[in-house]
Amino acid sequence: MATLATPVRKRGHEERPAKGRAPAVRAFRATPFTYGTLLIVAAILTTPLVFVGSIALSGDATVNNGAFTIIPREFHWDNFARVFGTELPVGTFLLNSVLISLFSVAGQVLSSGLVGYAFARLRAPGKNTMFLIVIATMMIPTQITMIPQFILFRDLGWVNTFLPLIVPNFFSNAFNVFLVRQFVSRLPSELDEAAMMDGLGFFGIYRRIMFPMLRPVLIAIGIFTLTHTWGDFMGPLIYLNDESKMPLALGVQYITATSQAGQAPPWNLVMVGSILLALPMILVYYLGQKYLYEMDISGGSAGVK
Amino acid sequence: MATPTVPKAAPTAAEKPPSPGKPKLSKRRRREALSFYLFISPWMIGFLVFLLGPMIASVYYSLTDWDSFNPPKWVGFQNYVTALTDDPVFWKALWNTFYYAAISVPLGLVIGLWLANLLNKQVRARKLFRTLIYLPTLIPLVATAMIFRMVLAPNGPINDFLGLFGLSGPNWLFDGPWVKPALILMSAWGAGAATVLLLAAMKGIPRELYEAAEVDGASATRQFWSITLPHLTPIIFFNLIMGLINAFQIFSQVYILIPKGKNPAGYDAAQTMVPLLFDQAFSYYRMGYASAISWLLFLVIMVFTVIAFRTTRRWVFYETEVK
Repeated sequence: MATLATPVRKRGHEERPAKGRAPAVRAFRATPFTYGTLLIVAAILTTPLVFVGSIALSGDATVNNGAFTIIPREFHWDNFARVFGTELPVGTFLLNSVLISLFSVAGQVLSSGLVGYAFARLRAPGKNTMFLIVIATMMIPTQITMIPQFILFRDLGWVNTFLPLIVPNFFSNAFNVFLVRQFVSRLPSELDEAAMMDGLGFFGIYRRIMFPMLRPVLIAIGIFTLTHTWGDFMGPLIYLNDESKMPLALGVQYITATSQAGQAPPWNLVMVGSILLALPMILVYYLGQKYLYEMDISGGSAGVK
Repeated sequence: MATPTVPKAAPTAAEKPPSPGKPKLSKRRRREALSFYLFISPWMIGFLVFLLGPMIASVYYSLTDWDSFNPPKWVGFQNYVTALTDDPVFWKALWNTFYYAAISVPLGLVIGLWLANLLNKQVRARKLFRTLIYLPTLIPLVATAMIFRMVLAPNGPINDFLGLFGLSGPNWLFDGPWVKPALILMSAWGAGAATVLLLAAMKGIPRELYEAAEVDGASATRQFWSITLPHLTPIIFFNLIMGLINAFQIFSQVYILIPKGKNPAGYDAAQTMVPLLFDQAFSYYRMGYASAISWLLFLVIMVFTVIAFRTTRRWVFYETEVK
């Protein structure tokens, strides 16, 4: 490419910008227009969130006449306590969400680590074919298996329990297996060989040597699983009927769907529920982002930064 | 990759070097293979019980008339024929899904690209802007849908904003023609997910290219079109495929924003493939018909994915090809 040669020739000429200062390439210069646009975008993106906060702090009278304002005018902080009281079972919803998510995360972390390690390190006939199948299954949409799985769980008598939402996670997910395999492949194999000479079996190697080293990728898998189960709506909608079993993602919608005819749903409390639904995910991302970047599955390149 | 029967040089000190041409697996190798099958058994069982079995069952159900309580009745391809020739709701749902995907996916990409390009500049408080743009993608879809039910209300912020210009906004979720734009608007709010990937890719473009372009007198706009955009095409393509697959599977938004029964006009205008499939299976217990719809949906997604892949050679630019 001819253009590539140009800067090489220019190197060492007095036109080079002073040391320590980034060259003022036009494509990177921020103009007032840049700032203006960014500010408008930021305003558009935050308005719904401010509005949610405003509704969450509204009194019941405001809810009934629907006169919400974007900037809060009243501050009923007790709404946050009310949803845990007798009025709405948000406390129960929250507990259900925590239970389902924790077991799902544990299932994925335990099973995906083991399977991914085996695909990366152990040798056996038929391994490559099986790994191809793992990759291929990532492309199958969940809708195809939705109905037969429902029939299966119904025949097992698991409808209206947490089991259909938790148990499949103990059988590892193809994408997670793939992540672990990529990660293990890049760890030095001298580690396991040394452990083997010390007389450790394969499971011992996995548990004592590999499992601790897989920390970044397992935490990342935990975060992915948590985000997925925490926000899952269709699964609970299919399998759970009783209000006392619902996770928050379904419960919040359930409150609005079942509000009495001619009466506004308790929007202030529903929005408190929505905030409770969103906050843990924001917190998890904030605390977990360094593991997501540390995981570096891109195979040698710099990875996402 | 070493095939299992080819012995690798000196794996452990204890093991005797295997004689060449040895046909059987050594004892150690057998133990290793056994451990492998044991280790992957969670995936194996999961694959058979939750994927392969259900897929075969789904093909069978789709060829039957079945309410899930009485024995299934074999009907051959009747369900597929009904969906394609005798069910106006199916075509309506397909059209709505297509409409939604065709606008929301490119729109999300353009917004994501545009925001990433803004954040790639030497902006103060870049971290703050980046966080704000990413924030909507961190909020679970259910919560987002609840939020947008309020945002899109007749007296919500969007109509308030339109009111500033003397426009009276529509009743977004209850007024047929406005329902799909409302769903697209909501999806655009989450365009920041693409921004993060695109921004990461932009950082990887060699700066020398821009410096060279600068010397040649190219404007910032020209540099974007001639350097930034071509380098991003692989990421754009990835986002396009994932976006298409997700858009075709839209469910929670529709289900929550437009409650069935309470809003017939809106419901009709927003009926997409997965809510239709869900209704057929779990409201009307037409398991056979719903299974057929799920395969048709799969087919539609496949067709669009293949079309997208077919076009890649024309516009996706891989750096390795230039060598």
